[in-house]
Amino acid sequence: MRPIRLMIATVALVLAAMPVSAQWLRYPTAGIPRTADGKPDLLAPPPKTADGHIDITGLWRPAAALVADIAARLPPGSVPFQPWAEELYKQRRANNSKDDPTTNCIVGGVPRSDLVPYPFKILQVPGAVVILYEAVHSYRQIFTDGRALPDDPNPAWFGYSVGRWTNDAFVVESTGFNDNVWIDNNGKPATSALRVTERFRRQDFGHMDVEIMIDDPKAYTRPWTVTLPLALVPDSELLEYICNENNKYFEIIGK
Amino acid sequence: MRLLDSLVPLVVAVALTTPQIVSAHHSFAAEFDSSKVVTLTGSVTKVEWQNPHTFFYLDVKDDSGSVTNWSLELGSPNGLMRDGWTRTTLKIGDVVTVEGSQARTGKPIANARVVTLKATGQRLFAASSQTNP
Repeated sequence: MRPIRLMIATVALVLAAMPVSAQWLRYPTAGIPRTADGKPDLLAPPPKTADGHIDITGLWRPAAALVADIAARLPPGSVPFQPWAEELYKQRRANNSKDDPTTNCIVGGVPRSDLVPYPFKILQVPGAVVILYEAVHSYRQIFTDGRALPDDPNPAWFGYSVGRWTNDAFVVESTGFNDNVWIDNNGKPATSALRVTERFRRQDFGHMDVEIMIDDPKAYTRPWTVTLPLALVPDSELLEYICNENNKYFEIIGK
Repeated sequence: MRLLDSLVPLVVAVALTTPQIVSAHHSFAAEFDSSKVVTLTGSVTKVEWQNPHTFFYLDVKDDSGSVTNWSLELGSPNGLMRDGWTRTTLKIGDVVTVEGSQARTGKPIANARVVTLKATGQRLFAASSQTNP
């Protein structure tokens, strides 16, 4: 190849690469163990913090499609609805979830924000584990400083969360939700009696399970549990997601 | 690094032709009727590269010669970027063919599943929420 052609080809390749490298979607993440060829070693042992706790830090995404139906992997009929909750769920199914709060750019909450197919970043800082959700540009604080859950909190979409470490898991308890939370896109209801327990267990560097227990005696006859697998997203980053920027949902459905 | 840079366009080309499950925040079916399949060809008049969904607008001429400006919904810019799109993948004046599903209201609005660029024949998958209703 003549030098001038080589130069043009190189310039063309670099220009073609620019829109990608101009973001941080492909940027090496520090601290990831790598194989000899430089690829992230996602099967490497899970990391520990300096004080010996399980370290769940990182950029993660759901590795199973549970956002439509959180019970998709359970046997049919496993969700122990109270009669009114089952009736409401059937109505929401029949009208294609048209009144889903997230159509109005409201956050999913707990555990729904864990299910949405966008990445989230978990940070461990002194006294808290913080989750930055790309979806609807939202966050959660899980306090690990020993405080108790609040007694009579103002009801909230994400509720209030405290966390503690056990031998093999980081365990998060959350309460203080409002009565408007949907547990999944299909519209399984929840009430202010909802209590969610999430158990994060990291099997290796690149894989983690979250065992999610839904305990809402007003909406369900007994607690029930699902497991959400997560996959690490190496060498990438969160992107901005401002949902109110151009939400045309109501225009499209004709309201 | 030179070698890595030269691989990036290849990666992008592969990503742009590989459909992925993306971005369903809420139900597709409340907005669009998957049985109302539309195939539309026209030129792009406007692109809104914004969340929660990218939209572009297409002037489509019918058999009688009258032109309708269609509104086409894609996935979020975030989902599209992870699939290899950029904000300049679709440009005003591009002639494209869209395969998608029309809004339940019957208005000239549709969710695009595949966009084919006339100039190159490239089929771009649209990070459609229909793949993950």
